[in-house]
Amino acid sequence: MSPAAPNILVVEDDRETRTLIAKYLRTNACNVTTANDGREMVRAMADHRVDLVILDVMLPGEDGLSLCRKVRAESQTPIIMLTARGEDVDRILGLEMGADDYLAKPFNPRELLARINAVLRRQTAALTVSLTNGATALTFLGWRIDFRLRELRNPAGARVSMTSAEFDLLRTLCERPGRVLSRDSLLDLTQGRNAGSLERSIDVLVSRIRRKIEADPQDATVIKTVRSGGYMFTPAVEAVTLPTDGYS
Amino acid sequence: MKLFGFLNLRGISGQIAALVVASIVAVHLIITATFLIHRPDQLDPPIAHRHSQLAAVAQLLDAAPAAGRPRLFADIARAFPQLDIESLPPGSAPVANETDGPNLRSLHRHLGSGYRVFSLGHDEDNRKVGIELPDGAMISAKILSDPWQRPFWRGPWMTTVLFAVICATLLGLWAARTLTAPLSSFAKAAESFSLNGGAAAPLPERGPEEIRSVAKALNRMRDRISTLIDDRTKMLAAISHDLRTPITRMRLRCEFIEDDAHRSRMLCDLDQMRSMLESVLSFLRNDQKLESMTLVDVASTLQLVTDQFADIGRKIAYDGPEHAMATVRPDDLHRSITNLVENAIRFGSEATIRLRISSDTVTIDVEDDGPGISDEHKDVMLEPFVRGDDARNMDEAAGFGLGLSIARSIVLAHGGQLSLNDRQPHGLIVRIQLPVRQQSRQAAA
Repeated sequence: MSPAAPNILVVEDDRETRTLIAKYLRTNACNVTTANDGREMVRAMADHRVDLVILDVMLPGEDGLSLCRKVRAESQTPIIMLTARGEDVDRILGLEMGADDYLAKPFNPRELLARINAVLRRQTAALTVSLTNGATALTFLGWRIDFRLRELRNPAGARVSMTSAEFDLLRTLCERPGRVLSRDSLLDLTQGRNAGSLERSIDVLVSRIRRKIEADPQDATVIKTVRSGGYMFTPAVEAVTLPTDGYS
Repeated sequence: MKLFGFLNLRGISGQIAALVVASIVAVHLIITATFLIHRPDQLDPPIAHRHSQLAAVAQLLDAAPAAGRPRLFADIARAFPQLDIESLPPGSAPVANETDGPNLRSLHRHLGSGYRVFSLGHDEDNRKVGIELPDGAMISAKILSDPWQRPFWRGPWMTTVLFAVICATLLGLWAARTLTAPLSSFAKAAESFSLNGGAAAPLPERGPEEIRSVAKALNRMRDRISTLIDDRTKMLAAISHDLRTPITRMRLRCEFIEDDAHRSRMLCDLDQMRSMLESVLSFLRNDQKLESMTLVDVASTLQLVTDQFADIGRKIAYDGPEHAMATVRPDDLHRSITNLVENAIRFGSEATIRLRISSDTVTIDVEDDGPGISDEHKDVMLEPFVRGDDARNMDEAAGFGLGLSIARSIVLAHGGQLSLNDRQPHGLIVRIQLPVRQQSRQAAA
């Protein structure tokens, strides 16, 4: 966990849900402010520092998508969107809105906490990893990992299906090529330690990623196991920055 | 007005009456014409002409004085070689007066009384007749054979009649078909009317008045059914949609339940509710919104499903190549495979996903070792809201019975096929066959 409790702004029009999310996050060491709609959100963000916004898509007045775009135009504050299942996912994560992550309602609160931690960690890490600053996608050996669409495409251009935990782990590895990352630090960078038993161990995730991207999963060359150390991502990684975005 | 309603040619009864009347009139005309052309006592013109020639010859000979007869005879034989007139010795005629048959009768009529006509046998085309003049002298001549000895269908009038009959039959068949075609199209339209097949074309409102009004009524009924279904669909979608808010709240509340056993049971119930809602929403969404097609490593999708079920402690295996490219809708495919695996592990103890890929088809088998589905139930199971009849699963309230039909509509939307097959010794194999449609596309950047 970060040394200081993160300030989280919950924008949700259903009062019950809003209070429950706030209560849940408070019990898990977060400072929470709440907002009923876009106006309150803008006021809250002007009022004090906000580390992360949890934004419902369906809001009275200005909807979540346009609010998301508005926030993006002004700041780097990470945004997690709450959405109805499968609706507008491409737009939320895609070029237009640029939310950092999304969760479909009804969501698992622990999943929400895990995503919050992951996004905050990525945010902190990105400030120290120069490579990925401003990058929307990375390429290695013809593979392309797209952060905004949260998809991986192989050299033939085919999409490779992954869970979000696998994606986050691969992303973390890709962002730090040539560095040995211990299991603990990978866990910190992706899930956070308090994510609970719900998440798979790093080893299992690595073996699953290997099966999808390695030519020979038994003799891994892309993600190498470093004895008693952890894992290392070996290929050269290039950043892809789309110039037309209003954000990075 | 009502009394003469059948005269209304716009109605089906009027049209049928008109058809019958027209046919009868046509047949009458044909028969009348036939009788006019072919009177039974009238011979064909060339035969009659030959008869009158022969009669004139006989009368000429009779009128001539006996001394001049041989010269006249020779002249006549020269003038009418086709008659082949010969003189016969008197007394060689048969006793009986053979005037049978229209040929000889007609000849006899030309000659008048006092003459005797008899047959002297005939060859293929000609008939030899003898004529005894009133004074006893006899001649023989050739006339054309009796007309009825030729096959009757070779007569020109018969060809006409046959032609007319065939025409009338064809016309009648065509007219009857035209009258009843709208009825068959109703049957077809009613058969193909489907509630989820989108907007089919309305029935054409043409033909006789009764049929037009039936078409109108059917079209109105179809519209009402569609509206009804649409309203129900919207209502179901709205309910499912709105239920997500209380479920979200309950999930959050669960986190504050101290008792772990209670909490996990409640989470389990909520999960079930959520998955039921999702299946309804995905079923309702299916024909409206389609994900875009993209090249996907199908093997990775199947591995993902396998991993997800293995993570919650299910016995599941993947058997197939590490990579297999095909152009599909990735999330839809993931959903349909997930549905099939959910069914497989619900009815069996373990599941296997198999993948085979050929140059043009991807074949995905989801196998279980459960009881399987008997042949007569296979079609029914593909319908929405039909659940497996396995009693031990009913109390678990497994779902709405949408999984298989959602999977099938997804597969059909891909232009593929989903079939249910038996597994040996027991169990079910759900087979999905998808077209590959692979485009060798370079990865961007």
